[in-house]
Order: sequence, then structure tokens, then C-alpha cells
Amino acid sequence: MKAALLKRSEFYLLLVIVVFAAAITLVNPAFLTIENLFDLIRSSSGMAILAVGFFLVLLSGGIDISFPAVAIVAQYITVNSIIALGIDNLALAFAIAIAIGLAFGAVNAFFISVFRIPTLIVTLGTMNIFHGAMLEFVGTKAINAGQLPNCFKVFGLVEVLILPRGDGTFYGLSVFFLIILAVVLITWVILRFTVLGRVIYAMGGNPEAVKRSGFNLVRLQFFIYCYVGLLASVMGIMHVSLIRYSNATYIINSELLHVIAAVILGGASILGGTGTLTGTLLGVVMISILEKNLVMLGLSSFWQQFFVGLIIVLGVSITHLQKRLRERI
Amino acid sequence: MADAFLEARGISKAYEGVQALRDVSLSIGRGEIHCLVGENGSGKSTLIKIIGGVVEPDQGVVVIGGRPHSHLAAIDAIRQGIQIIYQDLSLYPNLSVAENISFNQFVERRTGFVSWKEMRAIAERGLAEIGESIDLEESVQNLSVAKRQIVAITRSLTQNARLIIMDEPTSAITREDVDHLFSVIARLKAKGISTLFISHKLNEIFEIAEVVTILRDGRKVGDFPTAELDDAKLTYLMTGQRIQYTPYKAPARTAVPLLEVRGLSRRGQFREVSFSLWPGEVLGLTGLIGSGRTELALALFGLNPPDSGQILLAGQAVRIRSPEDAGRLGIGYLPEDRLTQGLFIGQSIGDNIVVTVLKKLLGALGLLDPARRRKIEKRWLEELAIKAPSARVRAWSLSGGNQQRVVLAKWLATDPKVFILDGPTIGIDIASKQNIHEIIRALAERGIAIIIISDEIPEILHNCNRVLVMREGRLEKEIQEVSAVGETELLAVVGGRHGNGEDRS
Repeated sequence: MKAALLKRSEFYLLLVIVVFAAAITLVNPAFLTIENLFDLIRSSSGMAILAVGFFLVLLSGGIDISFPAVAIVAQYITVNSIIALGIDNLALAFAIAIAIGLAFGAVNAFFISVFRIPTLIVTLGTMNIFHGAMLEFVGTKAINAGQLPNCFKVFGLVEVLILPRGDGTFYGLSVFFLIILAVVLITWVILRFTVLGRVIYAMGGNPEAVKRSGFNLVRLQFFIYCYVGLLASVMGIMHVSLIRYSNATYIINSELLHVIAAVILGGASILGGTGTLTGTLLGVVMISILEKNLVMLGLSSFWQQFFVGLIIVLGVSITHLQKRLRERI
Repeated sequence: MADAFLEARGISKAYEGVQALRDVSLSIGRGEIHCLVGENGSGKSTLIKIIGGVVEPDQGVVVIGGRPHSHLAAIDAIRQGIQIIYQDLSLYPNLSVAENISFNQFVERRTGFVSWKEMRAIAERGLAEIGESIDLEESVQNLSVAKRQIVAITRSLTQNARLIIMDEPTSAITREDVDHLFSVIARLKAKGISTLFISHKLNEIFEIAEVVTILRDGRKVGDFPTAELDDAKLTYLMTGQRIQYTPYKAPARTAVPLLEVRGLSRRGQFREVSFSLWPGEVLGLTGLIGSGRTELALALFGLNPPDSGQILLAGQAVRIRSPEDAGRLGIGYLPEDRLTQGLFIGQSIGDNIVVTVLKKLLGALGLLDPARRRKIEKRWLEELAIKAPSARVRAWSLSGGNQQRVVLAKWLATDPKVFILDGPTIGIDIASKQNIHEIIRALAERGIAIIIISDEIPEILHNCNRVLVMREGRLEKEIQEVSAVGETELLAVVGGRHGNGEDRS
């Protein structure tokens, strides 16, 4: 049992996180508090949702880089629609966003499964199609907190667990935590206990063999890319609710590399077929801490960009090295 | 045969006007071990795909268990118990043994959910049926090719296989594992499960098959009980030509050997290897996979520097630390996997030939001299009889045998004194093989010293004048005069399976 634990890359990542957290706590004792933990969960929830989606695609042997575009397009169109319709309702907002996310996912899946184009190329293209079309047809004007419909603002403030501070004021755990929990749980059940989930793993290992087994690959691709689209659209709503501001160029530039870095750091293979949800979530934790606390260790915030890049290159190199070593045997 | 499990009657199939199969019939009895042989392009793959329902024949029927199917779908073939194990095994390297074995069953069921407990139970039952045990939780990528094969066979078994078709199952495993595989096939037979396997290796055919069906150019030559066949007859039936071998005689030895190796060692690979090589010799280097023979050859080519020992060329001690050193000293090496290691597949034949001698082609201003280049290209196209319209044709468009010749030409252009060929004819058909062998002989007759690494005993017997047998990193035996020993004797030395070498079975 112990040996099995030591074999897992997640264990080492957890170790790194503990060491890193300890180092930050030494500099800033406020880091290791429940309040800060709650804050970390709230602010990194969007990244976690995107990472789960990206992980799923990676597992199947594909790469989807259009998800930040899907997130911002779903968010911006939804916010504008809610304002235009004048119906200040969160359920409607989610419905609109999810419809957009699923539609975009289906577009990706269509090109990937029917024309068999490499997934990276398809999503590189659709990312720009989705975003470009939105900027042209919907607009570029930012929506500030004053214009933002109430349902988003309320959603961003809902807390599910409220604790008192020493001075009598209160802090709480954002409802976003429940969303992450639900997404992780559903995804875990799919990956672990459904044929669909096992086929996703199998496809990352040997797509040709999946084809021979008689499984409908087209349907599978539609599931995968629609699922990613759905998660991205949910993240879009969470994001606007968190920062109370909708800018047509947010998310698309900031989230992509962080999410990729988090998933790769979590041990998922860029070549498909291997990785765990636990690893992915730990990767998100690590990147989030890195994002917010490097400054505390006396490093400029540019180092964050540097580290994210380094993690991606090193992570992918290790994966390829392992594969080469294996094939030598 | 009265009690046939499967019969293919009058199968014909054409692809874009090319007749792949012409009126071929095949009958496989229950529990029969049947071998399908033929050269590349003889129609073997098409036939098994038709039996498996993957390809629909233009004419003919497939009869399974007495029921004729004129339109056999793949899924029906599977339900009737026909399982094809392709050369790549169709396994999922990243998944566990248990999951690999049970995967298709869960996909078939369409309940949508998997049960890990059941998965393990299915795998355990399947492995027990053929008396195997493999760690169910181990990821398949960590298994040897032989173990992976067992996983693939077990998977077929758990899907109620009545006939297991294996496409060249022995091409990538060691002799020991072949024996093991054959014992598994024998166990399948005891259960009444038939096996149809495709093989290139003639000695294996004689070892296991009961009936051999021979295809040539899309037609069936005939079905033969194995007892009625021998090497020469089988070769003749497959190729339509009688291939005669005369043992190779090396010229008289010079005073100083061309290559001398003294006490060469590399940790974990080979120990204290010493031998000499004279001009015009064809030296066979054989032994099981893992005996250190390829590692030794790579050491001579500078890709695997030894820890200790000496290499002498024409009496002079030399250091070979890289392929460049080896090339400069006149040592050439033809790798085992010709496609990935020896050939720039997307480049023209000419580019491939001159790549080793680019420096010799430099004319004024250090630019390539096209006239010199054409001369070299033309010379080797002619000398090796490479069948191509011109040197500008891309390498991938050539047949396997011709590709091998291009790689040969590439190394010969450097005018090597010692030429090492690792498995020179792996995966090519008999006629091309014969051609390569003739070329090797012609090279030796010109005074080049040749080392052939091979585990095909007939290949060694027919080409070499002297043989070194390696075992677990050591030179086990040297056979001075090949023409004086027979195949069984050589097999015994190499495999260690007969006589006193019974220790490993």
C-alpha cells in the first residue's frame, strides 16, 4: 500500500504543495488559515472547472484549446442577453450559457470526428472563429458592476458555510465549492464506472483498437467536446459572478496556459490515456498558489509566467522521456 | 473434412482491379492448428479479413459451424466465435491486464456501466482457462510482448472464441516465448478451439501446425499435412521456384585478420568477447534475443561503446566512439528495423544512397557536384538491381525488398571493409530474401568481411562460412565450418532447447 502511494506522481505533487505552503506560511502566517483556504477555493474554482474539462480531452488523446474562448463567448453573450431580455434570472443565464457551450462543443466534435482533423488544429481555428464572431456581432463593450444583472452578483456572494472571525465579523465558503464538487464527482463517476469513461481512457491508449471493438467513436467525440463546452460555459458564468465585470477579452488570454500547466503538472499525459482527477485538482491548487503567492516569497509577478511556461515544457518533456524509455525495453 | 468448424468456399476478392484472391477455399476443423503461409501479397491478410467479416468477398461463402454466411458482418463473426489477433494485438497499453481482457465485453453489453469486480473475475477466469497467471492490476505497457500476447489470447477466449486467428504471432518474441506460446495453442486445442496462424518462419510451421495451406498470388496452391512438407518443398510451393543453396566457402585467410576483437565487455550486455574476422568471410552471429549479439554489433559500430577490451583493424588498435569513427574506419552497419532506422522514407532513393558519402560529392566551392552524385546513384541502382524507374523516386514507394537494397546501397557507397547486417531479411518475402542473400555473397566475394546477425537458422546455414553463437553475453560456441553441420545441430546450440540445454523449459 505504501509502495503504491510512493509510485504515484500525485503523492509527490502533494509533497511539493505542502513544502511550498510551509514556505509561504513562514513568510506570511496568514496563509495557512481557513479563511485563506476558502478564498483560494473561490478564486480558483473557475480554473478547476476548466481543468477538469481539459483533462478529459487530454485523456482521450486530443487537445482542446478553444475552451477559454467558449467560456468568454458564453459569458458575454449570456450577460448581454439577460440585460436585453430584462429577465434577471440565474437559471435562465445558465441555460443560455450551457446551450452556447454545448453548441460550440458540437462544432468542434463535428470537425474532429467527421473530417478527422487533428484536434489541436480544429480548436485553434474554432477558438478564433467563436471569439472573432462574437467581437464582430455582439460587441466589445465591457459591462461593469453597475450594469451587471443582479442574479450574477448574488450568485457570486452566496456562501454555504459561514464561520466567525476573531473580531466578530464573518467569512464563508462560496457556493462555487459545491459546483466544483458536483463537477468532480460526476466526472469521476463517468471516468471510473461507465463504459463511456473507460473508452475515453482506452482511446487515449489505442484509438485503433477502440475502433475495432465496435464502439461508436463519433458519438464519443461528441460527448467529450460537448462536455468540455458545457464546463467552459459554466465557468464563464462563475467568472463574471466572481469579478462582477464582463469584458469581451477576458479569460481567453489568461486561462489557457494556466489550465494546461495545471493538468500537466497533475500528471496527465499530453499523449493521452494516463492521468487522474486527483492529480488534476492538485495541479490546479499548485498553480493557484503559485499565481497568488510568489510575490510573498519576494519574487516579482513575472516569475509566475516564467514558471507556468517551465512547468508545461518540463512536464511534457518528462512524459515523452518516459514513453521513450518504455519503448526501449 | 467432415467436422469442419469453418469453411471458406470459393472466395474471390479484387481491390481496384487487382485480384487479391481467386477462388480460394479453406477448411478448418475443430481444435485444428492450421497454418496459412504465402509470400507478401499472396492474399493471406485479405483471406483472414474475409473470414473475420471485416472485408466482404466478391464471391464465395463463409460457412461457420455448418451455417453459410454470404454477407458475414464482423460482429456476426465475433458472435460465432471467430477472433482475430492482429500483429499489433489491439491492446490498450495504458489500461490494466484485467481491463484489457474484459474491455470488449463491457462495450458489447451496452449497459453503460462497468464493474471492476466483474472485470477482475472475467480476467481471472480467462487466464485460468489456459493456465496462465499475470498480475491483473499491472498496466499492459509494462508487460513483455509475449505476456501481451497472452493477454490478447485470453481476451479472445473470454469472448467465447472457437477459432483464434493470429497474424504472425512469433515475429517479435524470443525463442523461449515462442515455445510458451505454442504450449498455449496446444491447450486451446485441447479445449476444441481451433487456431489459424500466419507465419513466415518455416521451422515454426513444422513445429506446431497440423495442416498448412499455401497461397501464391491470390490462389491456393493446396492444403498439406505438415508431415508431407519439408523446407525445400514448402519454399518451392510458396515461391514457385526451387531455391538451391550451396554452402559459402570463404577465401584463404590473410596473415593478419581484418578485424580482431579482444576481451570486449560491457556491463550487463556482453563479457570477454574475442573473435577475428578475415576478408571475404561471412560470419554468422546468432543467439537468442537478449544474448547480447545486437549489443556487441552496436559496440563495433560506435553506438554502444564497450567498457573494456580492444578492437583491432588490420592489426592496428582503434577506438570507435561514434558511427562517424566507424564509418571512417570502414565499418558499415545495417540496422534490424530497416524502415525506421535505416531509411529516410520520404526522400528519394538517390538522396538515401548518397547521404553517407556527401563529403565525397563536394566539388568546387564546397557544393554538391551533381555529376558525381548521379554516377554513384546509377552505380548502386545497377549493382543491386533496385527496381525503380529512377533515382528520384521516393523510398516509400518501393517494395520491402527494394527498400532493403537501398539501405544496403547507402552503406556500400561508403566502401566498407567490414559490413554488419542485423536481421537483414526480417519481414521480407522469400524471393526478395533470396535476392538479398545473393547480394551478400557477391559482396563477400569482393573481399568485404560480413557479419550477419540472425536467429533464422536456415539463413545462417546458407550464407555463412563460420558462426559465433552467443548466450547470456558470452561467446558460447564457434562453428568453424558451417557446411559441416546440420540445421538441427545448429538449432540445438542456439536455442539450448535440445540435448543438454533443457534447463529453461
